[in-house]
Amino acid sequence: MELSRRHLLGSALTLSALQLFPGISQAQARKLVFATFTGSWEEAHRDVLVPAFKKATGQDVLLDAMLSVDQIAKVAAARNNPPIDVMLHDPGPALTAIGQDLVEPFPVASSKNYKDLIPEAQDPMGPSMFFQVVGLTYNPEKIKTPPTSWADLWKPEYKGRVGITNLNSTLGTGFLVEIARMHGGGEGNVEEGFKAIDKLKPNLAAVAANPGALAALYQQGQIDISPGNFNAIQILKARGVPVEFVAPKEGAIAFKTSIHIVKNSPNKALAAQLIDVALSPEVQGKLMQAPYLVVPTNAKVKMEGEIAKVLAKDTAEMKKKFVFQDWKKINENRAAWIDRFNREIKL
Amino acid sequence: MTAAVLKGPPVTGYSLAFATPLAAFFVLFFLAPLLLLIVISFYATPELQSFGFDQYVKIATDGFTLPVLFDTLWLGLQTTLLCLLLGYALAWCYVRSPGSLQKLLMLAILMPLLTSVVVRTFAWVVILGRQGIVNSVLAEFGWIDAPLKLLYTRGGLIVTLANVQLPLMVLPLITALQKLDPNLEDASSALGASALRTFVKITLPLTLPGIVAGCLLTFAASITAFISQSLIGGGQMLFMPMYIYQQASSLQNWPFAAAISLVFLVAVMACVSVFNLLGRLSRAGA
Repeated sequence: MELSRRHLLGSALTLSALQLFPGISQAQARKLVFATFTGSWEEAHRDVLVPAFKKATGQDVLLDAMLSVDQIAKVAAARNNPPIDVMLHDPGPALTAIGQDLVEPFPVASSKNYKDLIPEAQDPMGPSMFFQVVGLTYNPEKIKTPPTSWADLWKPEYKGRVGITNLNSTLGTGFLVEIARMHGGGEGNVEEGFKAIDKLKPNLAAVAANPGALAALYQQGQIDISPGNFNAIQILKARGVPVEFVAPKEGAIAFKTSIHIVKNSPNKALAAQLIDVALSPEVQGKLMQAPYLVVPTNAKVKMEGEIAKVLAKDTAEMKKKFVFQDWKKINENRAAWIDRFNREIKL
Repeated sequence: MTAAVLKGPPVTGYSLAFATPLAAFFVLFFLAPLLLLIVISFYATPELQSFGFDQYVKIATDGFTLPVLFDTLWLGLQTTLLCLLLGYALAWCYVRSPGSLQKLLMLAILMPLLTSVVVRTFAWVVILGRQGIVNSVLAEFGWIDAPLKLLYTRGGLIVTLANVQLPLMVLPLITALQKLDPNLEDASSALGASALRTFVKITLPLTLPGIVAGCLLTFAASITAFISQSLIGGGQMLFMPMYIYQQASSLQNWPFAAAISLVFLVAVMACVSVFNLLGRLSRAGA
């Protein structure tokens, strides 16, 4: 680097400014920021993860709840000085974030808890902090015999009672893949899935624009059965809405929710510590209790309560009952699927 | 008096420099993002590597985007017409009511503006649902056997949008009607014109500026009403705002999202010009 007079002057000014205002250098070393998801996730992380991290490190962590896509947009817009240190992602956005080189590998070797994660949750680019589980949800006041299979949605007695979502969400896309699989397809081939949705049309009362809208539709009696997220249903149940969740016999769809260190984060070491705390059996065990009911990824956590009753009693059963989808393959084709869904499912 | 007026500098003579903060604000927060949007729309692929007209070619040839665009504009037109019908009647009532009733009416007109659009839209979910107010009333009277499907239908969406945007239509209409000299209408009927003829020949032309202003506001607000469109229309109806969101957020296809946003913008501006032109033409004709 050529040392010009202007450069020297600039450096001198900066140095003296740092002397005069020590606050500047501290302002740059900001608090650790964790971009969690909005709603009940933020509550759960505020109640359990933040205190546990404070106890382990004596440091504070700032929760900034936002959707995965917004996290990616914010970090991508300020790659060199990201406003977030730790990101939380569904499988699709996680691959996008890694693909756009926004993620720092997690220091596996120095982690206490990483090795205890079940193998599906282990990934150095972002270990899974919890699983989101999608199964069938139904209104037990209207549907007396609990459904057992995805195929039940096509039963003629549910004419005009079924709700689904479009493919904008992880849930909607995952559901399409699973019904394709039921008819011999899978991540690589959803032809049969589209055919099945076409056959579902007489039963459809609603194609919601997002999974959140399904909740309102149960409350209004607009739909009585739909694919649904285990945790979203617990919130509805807690508010007294008559809904139940069952894992279909084909297996419940499990989405890995992965936690990542943001590339160029000024708080890398703390970020790694936060992730390690998030993977610990203590934190995951607490998050598994009511009212949070977050599905743990650490094999040392003993399943209890609603999760043990409805989902799986232990890790072995979890592996048998959960279906993990190949989101790498899904992402390759998702644009084309959304395009097709737009055209074919239109009213 | 003239001397006093001439003493100070004329109002229009102030330096334009006073407008620089506002201009800077617009350049920074409106012009710059718009330019950025235009640049992004000329990337050939979502990976933002090479430039080309690919996105615009896709819009013109995919046989899907343009129908969605026209359908969105059509939705806006339908909503605007319903709004005009309801809004004109409401504004008419307001202007002809005694003072105390006017206060109540104004409160009713403004109420929707004071409530968040999300809350208003959720209220319509409750009204239109299977066990909603409309269906339970109809069932109570024995007029229907099974609940009608109102939510997630186009009719339901138009009614909802019309309600949500009604204040935007009514307020300019009230202003226009209040400016109208009642003597003109009296004169018209004294000269033997029927009520209808008076309305068509006198009232309507004279309130046209209010109608155009109200229609513009309602139209622009209803075609871009992302929340109402997705909550009441559902995932089976696709309009431009949801389409843009889907491409930008779920698919991270920024170039295509930028391109369809710009096409949408141009189409809306074209519609607005047509509205204005119609207003001017009919004013000239009357």
